[in-house]
Amino acid sequence: MADGIGRSAGILAAATICGVASGLFGIGGGVLLVPLLGLLFAFSQHRAQGTSLIALIPPTGILALIAYAKGGFVSWKTGLLLIPGVFLGGILGGVLAKRIKPRSMREIFAAILFVLGAWQAFSAWRH
Amino acid sequence: MTLVILLLGLGVGVLVGLLGIGGGVALVPAMVYLLHMDQHMAQGTSLFILLPPIGLGALREYWKQGQVDLRAGILCAIGMLVGAYGGSLVALPMNSQNLKGFFGCFLMLAALLLWRKTRLESNAAAKQQDRARG
Repeated sequence: MADGIGRSAGILAAATICGVASGLFGIGGGVLLVPLLGLLFAFSQHRAQGTSLIALIPPTGILALIAYAKGGFVSWKTGLLLIPGVFLGGILGGVLAKRIKPRSMREIFAAILFVLGAWQAFSAWRH
Repeated sequence: MTLVILLLGLGVGVLVGLLGIGGGVALVPAMVYLLHMDQHMAQGTSLFILLPPIGLGALREYWKQGQVDLRAGILCAIGMLVGAYGGSLVALPMNSQNLKGFFGCFLMLAALLLWRKTRLESNAAAKQQDRARG
């Protein structure tokens, strides 16, 4: 594998941008990291997804979480209820991803995401 | 309500494993619309959910297939740790309506990138098939 310093620096820079989105929008950042790894660094889709998952194992959002918690913007109870489902669902999804071609699934997800985003932006700014 | 939350978690989890994402991008709007949370509260709660390694089960499946670039993963984790703190400093003073609107714009951008990646890949696959046919 041709792993130059430039490539590493590029990955680090791309990940930092994903991190800004993560703190700004309270998300993991994988949704941006997966397409960026593929588009900029020629990762295959499965490899981009696997690498995104390992990047999300350490608590990368902890500094951002502390900032939100200080502002009183965390619902701990809802969070605790959501964690087991997300974990179990993750295993199920990982098994499914190996069996099916996730291309059409991704297209459907992208379409839903787009509609959801348009709806959110519209409902926030219509007044 | 508790059942709704548990099922919501399961549904988001399937996306985590299937798409290799953290799940926050689906969790935040789901909490805003289904659980009627304020935008800031949904984002803070999403960050809390992402704290434990919820993707570990999914990662195991990818690891078995050799589909993980450990070095790139570590670099990404470092970048995201620092970037996320910077992002939170921008988000917190914003008013909730504007934040919700920007979140919507971000979702549309992410959707376009995801879609574009899919297209490029299928084009490459088609070219390879053409070459194989001669």
